[in-house]
Amino acid sequence: MHTQEDPTAWLASALVGREDGFVELRLHRKRQRSVAVEKGRVDAAMSTEHSGVGVRVLEGGTFGFASTGSLEIEAIRRAIDDARSAARASAGLRRARIENLAPAQLARGRFEVPGYDELEGRSLEELLQLVLSTEARARASSGSVDSASCAYTEVLEEKAIVTTDGARAWLRHVRPELRVGAIARDGAQLQRGSRSVGATGGWECLFRAAGADQLADEAARIAVDRLGAGYPEGGRKRVLLSPALVGLLTHEAIGHTVEADFVQSGSCAAGKLGQRVASELVTLCDSGASEYTDGAGGTLPVDDEGVFAGRTAIIEQGVLKNYLHNRESAAHFGVAPTGNGRAWEYQNEPLIRMRNTYIEPGTSTFEQLLEGIEDGYLLDGPANGQADANGEFMFGTQEAYHVKNGVVGPLLRGVNLSGRAFDVLASVDGVGRDFRWDLGSGHCGKGQPAKVDAGGPWVRCEVLLGGRG
Amino acid sequence: MGTRTQVVDERGAALERADLLERCDAAVAHALASGADEAEAFASSHGGTSVQLEKGDLQLARVSMGEALGLRVFVGGRLGFASTNQAASPAALADLAASAVALAKLSPVDPAAGLLAARELFGGPLPSEPALWALAPASVVALAGKLMEVCRGFDKRVSVDQGAIRFSRGSSAVVSSRGARAAESDAGLSASLFGMAVDGADVGGFDALSEWTRGADSFEPALERMGRRFARTVLDNLGAGKATSYRGPVLFAPDAFAELFLGPLVGALSALAVQRGRSALAGKLGTAVAAAHFTLRDAPGDAELAGACLVDREGSATADRALVERGVLGTYLSNARAARLEGLAESTGHAQGSARGVPGIGAHNLVVDAGDGGDAKEMAARLGRGLLVGRFSGTVDGTSGDFSGVAKSARWVEGGEIVRSLGETLIAGNAFEALGQLGALSTERETLGGSARVPWAIADGLNVTAG
Repeated sequence: MHTQEDPTAWLASALVGREDGFVELRLHRKRQRSVAVEKGRVDAAMSTEHSGVGVRVLEGGTFGFASTGSLEIEAIRRAIDDARSAARASAGLRRARIENLAPAQLARGRFEVPGYDELEGRSLEELLQLVLSTEARARASSGSVDSASCAYTEVLEEKAIVTTDGARAWLRHVRPELRVGAIARDGAQLQRGSRSVGATGGWECLFRAAGADQLADEAARIAVDRLGAGYPEGGRKRVLLSPALVGLLTHEAIGHTVEADFVQSGSCAAGKLGQRVASELVTLCDSGASEYTDGAGGTLPVDDEGVFAGRTAIIEQGVLKNYLHNRESAAHFGVAPTGNGRAWEYQNEPLIRMRNTYIEPGTSTFEQLLEGIEDGYLLDGPANGQADANGEFMFGTQEAYHVKNGVVGPLLRGVNLSGRAFDVLASVDGVGRDFRWDLGSGHCGKGQPAKVDAGGPWVRCEVLLGGRG
Repeated sequence: MGTRTQVVDERGAALERADLLERCDAAVAHALASGADEAEAFASSHGGTSVQLEKGDLQLARVSMGEALGLRVFVGGRLGFASTNQAASPAALADLAASAVALAKLSPVDPAAGLLAARELFGGPLPSEPALWALAPASVVALAGKLMEVCRGFDKRVSVDQGAIRFSRGSSAVVSSRGARAAESDAGLSASLFGMAVDGADVGGFDALSEWTRGADSFEPALERMGRRFARTVLDNLGAGKATSYRGPVLFAPDAFAELFLGPLVGALSALAVQRGRSALAGKLGTAVAAAHFTLRDAPGDAELAGACLVDREGSATADRALVERGVLGTYLSNARAARLEGLAESTGHAQGSARGVPGIGAHNLVVDAGDGGDAKEMAARLGRGLLVGRFSGTVDGTSGDFSGVAKSARWVEGGEIVRSLGETLIAGNAFEALGQLGALSTERETLGGSARVPWAIADGLNVTAG
């Protein structure tokens, strides 16, 4: 395989004599460079390469999947045979047979997100220096900081997608991430602060909002400020969510419930198309493009089924308009696929996954949003999140600030917040005008990971806080 | 399924181990020839068949196979690591070695960097049933049919979003220039269900259950048991009402107890976490870190659990040991890196990880000793009034122990009986403080994910916020 040349013709040659039914071949070459430092010591300086071909065959009304790490045509042909055998052997179990996949304008040609060559050309020496100096800066920023860590990872991916119904796409993109952590100590009490950035694109995209030094300073500041900080009061509260937390809200609270496979299983979004589910201030989208600014972490021009990955308006001015689809679910619902079929590595089959999920900016200034809070909280610093079938979501925050009559108080320890997705969106009464992608270092888990991003403006709404007291 | 690679019997696994050892030998030799002072190669090979269900129907049948090799080198106290799944050829191994050595030469010197002297250990297959080793893909499909049959017997309100039957087998080998040389093979069969119940406009919270075994014979009854329990839980999640906010004791099902308390505890036991100043248990060896009736063991020798192993990721022998005994901290967990930083000649055998990265630290099989609290029903009676948490969905800060999140599959207990399902109920507290305030532990324990055996537990001093 020559990766400097279009590999689609080479990959398609594996189909000769094996074109019956629907066959999808996905060549996926994934290279990763990582450097990790903690407390001045290098824990990882590594380079990995894992490549292969994933094969999906639709036969007897069901899918069979096989993969091979060998990049020999004969091995790919054997994998096609294995996938076909798997489909045939299991077809008798399937009740709702897949008659057809939804037709789509399938991608042909070369698609590249800028940044690949730039990062591939950066020396490991330079990356090591960045990580060492960032970690050292965080550790030296305060006498209370006992330990710090920094890790840089970049994933260089090349894919070729070939299907028997016409896809011939060749893609390249790079996804860098930088994470900084600091541990502050006061006697036996330890507190952690962290900051991370991630992008699909080059250095400028990665550090578009903050440089490595700023990330180190912020991680250390959060750790130190949390020492001795109090806890927010639990209960239902009016809050101002930062763009990162708005991103978590859109991803966890809404995004998962509108994945069409989950809708078919009975998620809380089932049967609600065309209904008002949110405040009219809310327009919520998922896009394979990086809207507003370059470099959103989940950017992909073409999904792993060879479908163009455009913008999908999920909620428009409060009304639920669309679900997220792959070709199978789109056929079931009688709509066009939305380019959300994604696979993590060559050994994985495409699933319905989000890409860059966001709330569109509104008209309010930050000050106007704050002024509307009599007794509530300003929340920032995303942690993990999860969603439930019934729309109940939760996600964590690192930082909480009490807001009284529009005035922001001192830092409190972060909390988890929860609510019912559509109830929370219905409570939105203010949407900021400044947009930011801010979840680019995040991964979503659904049996297999997916690189995603999310963001939006500052948003004011009501949620349930899991505080103390 | 007439596939090429799926059936590997015990003899085939022995050949696979020999092949992996040979490949590791070659990788280490290439590394030393490329200028490494020390080198360690870890290789793995796996295969399997899985059948996935979605929306209560068959979704996809998959056959899989793969291999990978990771090479760790040290050059003058500098670390480099490279990994590939394209290591079948000598030329690829030579390139991998050159890459790892080049990376090491760029790294800064760390006086503690390096491998530990080790000895050759007996490896071999873990004690799976012979029938499992040769499980044919058609048998996996038949088990998926059985699982679908179980699902079709559910109450019509139960919706299986995802489910799976997975058979996997694999071998791994590790060789180092300091004398480590070991290989082992394993095979396992697992099943999982994930979904919820829907009754008109009432969509209940989801739940997930899994089963894992090294023995195929007992699997069908296990599927039925898992299915019945799954259906009961998701149906009970319907009609969720409100809790009452309070501060006090909470009853945790084994899954929630492990997530909230065992996770941060084991993280804090990492010798690297202690050395790096991010463990709340630093300096506490030999002191009480939990209630006196709490004992936590690591049991790599327990072949009924998925984490059973003869050697760790670095080829060091594993051994059963108490991590916390009657509330007192017994040991930290170390790999070679942590041991060298302490100036020790041996690790505790807790190196973990795959061929795709440098070894980390972790426990193999976690086992909490049973208490005297009886079964789940008796534990609810002991709680008397308050919150029962089936699963926890939230954030646990492994450094401070602070946690905050949503109680899932949650129930309200009144008069010692479960009286209703709950929604929008948040709990917050500190895991390390709560371990010191543990109340009753159940006599009955559950196996989680195949690799932990955990009782129900009551912990006090927690904040419950009702929506």
